[in-house]
Amino acid sequence: MNEAQAQGFNWELARAYIPWQRYTEKWDPLEGLRKGTIFPELYMPYHPTAR
Amino acid sequence: MDYDRRKLLEQIMALEFTALEFNLYLDTHPQDMKALEEFNQAARKLAQLKQEYESRYGPLTNYGTTPSPGSWRWVEDPWPWEITF
Repeated sequence: MNEAQAQGFNWELARAYIPWQRYTEKWDPLEGLRKGTIFPELYMPYHPTAR
Repeated sequence: MDYDRRKLLEQIMALEFTALEFNLYLDTHPQDMKALEEFNQAARKLAQLKQEYESRYGPLTNYGTTPSPGSWRWVEDPWPWEITF
């Protein structure tokens, strides 16, 4: 029995998966700096209202 | 801060960010030759831009990496938080 089950959780708390990134293209420096990454595949802005 | 100086500083900031991003990627993908080549291009260009900036306007950082001929430019220049982009 693991810690989560011991605390009464009968499902896993979390399981992270990280696909292996493969660099192909990047944004120009200024755009990357503005967007917080130079890799389009990592750009994931948080939009709380957009459901 | 005049226009040219701010534009050059912006380029340095952006290019340094690109080099840093490649640095992080290469930490986990050291064999990715395309990324390594582009990191080296960015790093070379960045060094050139910094050298140009510092020769014209004085040190970008105060860690003793850059001489300050004539006067102690570090205290004469605007502080980073005084620069608006």
